[in-house]
Amino acid sequence: MTLIQHETSDDTARFRRPPSEVMRLARMGSFHPSRLSFLRVMLRRLRDEGWTFDRPVWEVDDKGVGHGVYRAKGPERTYSLVAFAHDLPPEMRSDRVIATAWDATFALFDGDPTAEDIARLGRNVPYQEAGRITPSELTLARANRSVRLFDHVVAALSSGRQPDAAEIEAVGYLMRTTAVYGSGKFGACDRADIAERPELSAPFQVEMLTVWLIRAFTVDIVEHIAAARGGKRAAKLDPAMRRTLGVGNSTGLGMAPFLVRHPILLNNWMIAREEALARVRAQAGSRPEAVAGLRQALGHALANAEVWHSEHPVQKRKLHDLRHDLGLISARLDDWDLGAVRPWDALWRWGDRTLTCEGQEALLSLMLEPHGDLVDDLAECMGADEAARFRLDGAMPVGKLREILENEYDWALAIDFDTPENVARFWYVSEEKLEPRLGERATEDGATLEQPLCIARLMSELYTTVRNHDAGAPVAELLLSHPEHRFSVRRAQIARDHPFAEVRDNLIAADMLPIDLLRCKLAFFGASQFDPRSDRWVRINLFAGAPFPEEIASEIEA
Amino acid sequence: MTTVPHDQTRGDSTAFFRDLQPAPLSRNEVASLCTKAARGAGMSWGMAEEAGFAAAWLVSHGVDGPGYLSAHLEQADGMAWSELCPTPTPGKWRNADGRTLCPIILGATICDHADLPQGAAAGRRIEFGPVGMPILLVPFLAYLAQARGLAIALSWPGGMARIGAGGTELSAAAALLGCKTLDLTLDAEPAAPGRPSAAPIPNAHTAAETIAILNAFAMRTTVPASEASRAGAGSALGDND
Repeated sequence: MTLIQHETSDDTARFRRPPSEVMRLARMGSFHPSRLSFLRVMLRRLRDEGWTFDRPVWEVDDKGVGHGVYRAKGPERTYSLVAFAHDLPPEMRSDRVIATAWDATFALFDGDPTAEDIARLGRNVPYQEAGRITPSELTLARANRSVRLFDHVVAALSSGRQPDAAEIEAVGYLMRTTAVYGSGKFGACDRADIAERPELSAPFQVEMLTVWLIRAFTVDIVEHIAAARGGKRAAKLDPAMRRTLGVGNSTGLGMAPFLVRHPILLNNWMIAREEALARVRAQAGSRPEAVAGLRQALGHALANAEVWHSEHPVQKRKLHDLRHDLGLISARLDDWDLGAVRPWDALWRWGDRTLTCEGQEALLSLMLEPHGDLVDDLAECMGADEAARFRLDGAMPVGKLREILENEYDWALAIDFDTPENVARFWYVSEEKLEPRLGERATEDGATLEQPLCIARLMSELYTTVRNHDAGAPVAELLLSHPEHRFSVRRAQIARDHPFAEVRDNLIAADMLPIDLLRCKLAFFGASQFDPRSDRWVRINLFAGAPFPEEIASEIEA
Repeated sequence: MTTVPHDQTRGDSTAFFRDLQPAPLSRNEVASLCTKAARGAGMSWGMAEEAGFAAAWLVSHGVDGPGYLSAHLEQADGMAWSELCPTPTPGKWRNADGRTLCPIILGATICDHADLPQGAAAGRRIEFGPVGMPILLVPFLAYLAQARGLAIALSWPGGMARIGAGGTELSAAAALLGCKTLDLTLDAEPAAPGRPSAAPIPNAHTAAETIAILNAFAMRTTVPASEASRAGAGSALGDND
């Protein structure tokens, strides 16, 4: 219970948005990072708990080849990023068939690695998919240089100059990760075995720690190579310029199904975010420092919107909307009646009437920003024990299941799946890459191997079966005669008490944009500069503007 | 296996497994691979998830679940639901055609019926008749024992295995139940709520041949790439900018 909650007599429930409003692709595809984003959650914990960082190992030659260890020490445990730096000829950068075809490879080790551990990782990590790691490792990752910026920075620093700020701004990172594997992939530690640790209970904390330490490595390696080349005259990156650098990432369709495959997790992320907004709206008054904090956050958002570029037509329109809406918010703050009852709610209601989805969701992030004391504890509710809800309630009467479908899936039952444009696509896994793709049903083969990702249609089919079944019979009996519905029944029973579990749109519709799913997930990660290169893959930047390990202790706001 | 630029987070890492010696997989790898393999062998997606659950549970209890599941899938491949499922009636759950029951379907159905009159409650006996690869039934019974406070005994002509809430008897049960088929009868008695064993057990090891069999089943769920899909999934550009 925080101070602000004591001052607020209203329950937050009536300030919460319903799932029917929130769980739409158009809105989820307009999400912005917020202080509940996972990288922010991690940085706050590192700062608040006084974590310390060092680089106990750095064995890198003049060509920039070798390895280093980045260590993060917390109150109870230590985590170490073991980084391998490679010398990759340019022609291999676009060909991932051959092992060691990355500029750098990484594993996050659980504890302090011994020389034997590092040697073992050296025999596996550089080979990525062709190697294996163990439960002592939490992640496996790799990154390639942004050759253009990397070379520019090496050239500048080695001759004693700072790099061109415009070049830095145009790219935003020295390296981009092309995969960060966690959750037991390639033999790594299972998520369930570490989920109870307080520092890892929020989602994707090991992945975020990995990328944040990779960011430190990208600067170290560029300075190391510049020093080897320039000798005494070589410069180090100016800290202010360094701070603007993040880690790039390119992400494709592979990430899109995640939100659909993890309904309880999605529910918990969404509820935390919506409850945070409701708590801010429910405040009876406003504190001057919160109002000042909002203005400051708006200043950052305006600056970010200026440097945020994309060539993709959809994103260009959204960026236009965003810039326009941020201008409207800026003007509104000048007339904002702080003496009115519940001024934050009044501001939200104004935005709801006035702004596009882009602007509304940006306003949400802005309103949370100065209210850490009110909302930060919600980060603790964003994890999920999905295994605990794996078992079905077989005794549930079929009539009750029908009721759940009519209440929680009314949006799905309203879709006419006999219309070609409503079944235009199908999700499948490609034989070639074992990753999810989206096909055109009318023109491509493979629809018989459709993945169960169009929840709306699956529920619609289940409803047809349920309507023709004895309402008093138990679900267990229904499943003996209709085993094909087991997946949907499990899901519907979850949705009964997880109102934000489902993306309430048709994921196989002709006009569905997969990048909306990516944007939602990446905003929860805390990614900025979302830049779609098509309707199916994007480039983003992680940790741009965030503190570096040696800076975090002195941060006021994380 | 080919990879191209902007290749992102893979669903499966076991496809790359090349170790000559059996090696431990993570539970996530086991669940993911076995779910897809079971689907490829003809189970519905929801039942395939049960197969993934069972194999991962066994691995985390030191038993090579993927090995038993791959053997079961090879045996049950292509069979119809009606040839594999039980018909639950009070005291008797045999297959309607007298065939050998699928242990995954049987286990999931036992859990579904836990609170129903035909279900495995305290003081009840149920005859299953022949059950294939009976070790795969154990994860479901262990769940039930823990969730409902039961001590479960599985008996067959000439033998018996106990599955308690704590799962401590598992290694003994595994040795007895790790065979192709048994004619099983279940007896459930009330028991004090059990505690999971305190000491973590290292994950069981799985052989590359097993993984290859499961991958072959899993590949049946995939679609050969077309030029259209390749073009849309990621960038066709190099990664040198």
